[in-house]
Amino acid sequence: MKTLYGHRDLILYLVARDLKVRYRRSVIGLVWTMLQPLLTMAVLAVVFSSLFRFNIRNYPVYALAGILFFNFFQQSIITSMNSLRGNAGLITKLPVPTAVFPISTVLSGVVNLLLACVPLVAIVLITGHPIKPAILFLPVSILIAAVFTLGAGLILSPLAAFFHDIVELVGVFMTLLMYMTPSFYPMTIVPEKFLWAVRYNPVRSIMEVFRDPIYYGKIPPMNHLLLASGLALVALAIGVFTFRRMSDRIALYV
Amino acid sequence: MSDTPPSTEPVSETSDAATTADGYIVDLDHVSLCYRLAKQRIPSIKDYAIHWMRGALVYEQLWALKDVTLKIRRGETVAIVGRNGAGKSTMLKVISGVLKPTKGTASRQGRISPILELGTGFDFELSGIENIYLNGLLLGRSRKEIDEKVEDIIEFSGLNDFVRSPIRNYSSGMVARLGFSIATAWVPEVLVLDEALSVGDNRFVPRCEERLARYREAGSTLLMVSHNHASLAEFCTRAIWLEQGQLLADGPIHEVLAKYLDFAAHGDDDIPAQLTEQVTAP
Repeated sequence: MKTLYGHRDLILYLVARDLKVRYRRSVIGLVWTMLQPLLTMAVLAVVFSSLFRFNIRNYPVYALAGILFFNFFQQSIITSMNSLRGNAGLITKLPVPTAVFPISTVLSGVVNLLLACVPLVAIVLITGHPIKPAILFLPVSILIAAVFTLGAGLILSPLAAFFHDIVELVGVFMTLLMYMTPSFYPMTIVPEKFLWAVRYNPVRSIMEVFRDPIYYGKIPPMNHLLLASGLALVALAIGVFTFRRMSDRIALYV
Repeated sequence: MSDTPPSTEPVSETSDAATTADGYIVDLDHVSLCYRLAKQRIPSIKDYAIHWMRGALVYEQLWALKDVTLKIRRGETVAIVGRNGAGKSTMLKVISGVLKPTKGTASRQGRISPILELGTGFDFELSGIENIYLNGLLLGRSRKEIDEKVEDIIEFSGLNDFVRSPIRNYSSGMVARLGFSIATAWVPEVLVLDEALSVGDNRFVPRCEERLARYREAGSTLLMVSHNHASLAEFCTRAIWLEQGQLLADGPIHEVLAKYLDFAAHGDDDIPAQLTEQVTAP
């Protein structure tokens, strides 16, 4: 931990570099981050409001909030799994604490999530959805989401150093997880026999804490909040524990 | 010079090892290191599963270090000799904390400044100046510490206006000069050099040697791997000789060098040892 703190400027540098690369590639890089979830949402809005007809008031806001969260989670996990092998040249030759790579990945994911909240708020305003003061709770929700995601990233990223094909497996699992998370559909359409899979999905709890202040305009109920924070802390604790256990061997395998 | 020795607060990166209380700055205690080379080209979970089900996970084990015990005191200057593949670089990586021993413990006090391989930690698309920051940060320096040294580094490297262009345009000698200048910008507690001077030109090498000599006087600990025995003899008082991962000799530099050169002249079959062995994982 102490060496990680000593490398805090390195973490900030890696975050800044990641963001620069992402946005320098295309002239409209920054606009693109905001455009991409918007377009996804537009597609979903058309498909679901005309084909499936969910009974959801102001579907665009509901779906966009859910999708933004899930994109953040999924991309952070996959990128942090690739971050160790992507930096193998450094890890095998310099005494850098390996945890700086997944940590900086999740941090730059948080920055992207914050940026993507701009079109979200725009949609909220355009659709005439009421903005309540509860939206000020959003930073706390994002903090919980970040802690949870970092924990998951710390658990999974060393595995990717040992087994190079695990990233694809996790990619498949992420698709399953996406359908288990009611980001763009309501809980009410889930068949009885699959309800447990959605209900006990920890990612759903984290997502709802993110969506409540935006969509329902309320601070999440205390029991939800405690559950989500608890899950986030447990994920982080397991992540720190397993990463420490495995970090000694990362340099031998990446 | 404005060089002040960095904080001497003990920093151990090995969690399970106690920091050496008896004055050793580097302490390798019965260290063995095994590279487990999976026979499959790509370690994949698919292969792992298939072989696990067959009950035959075959790995080739390469013990790059075998039961090495090495204690170095603050201010010592140690040369490491041995043939290619003897484990010299692996040992430097264990000392630096890049690799953790498979068996035994490695502990160190203070900050290690390693120069392990040419171009390590450089982003070849970035300019020299940007790389000074990147490399300094990777070495655990803060942005502020680098701000204070950036002029020194540019001046010492002798790169002049080149520092503004991407280092993919540099020659390998220029990259090496920049790397050396960054790693030695701060008075190191332990400086680890793996063939660091071999690519410098005859104007740069004397400046490096002058700097190393000054740090040695200032009490820095030096660890050097080189095949240039003259320069080893000039800088180091102690030498260790590694062969097939084992420590064959440890003592005053001239004695060890003499033994090593004698061995090197008499062929290689003196040490019967199986370098690799087939092991079936449980």
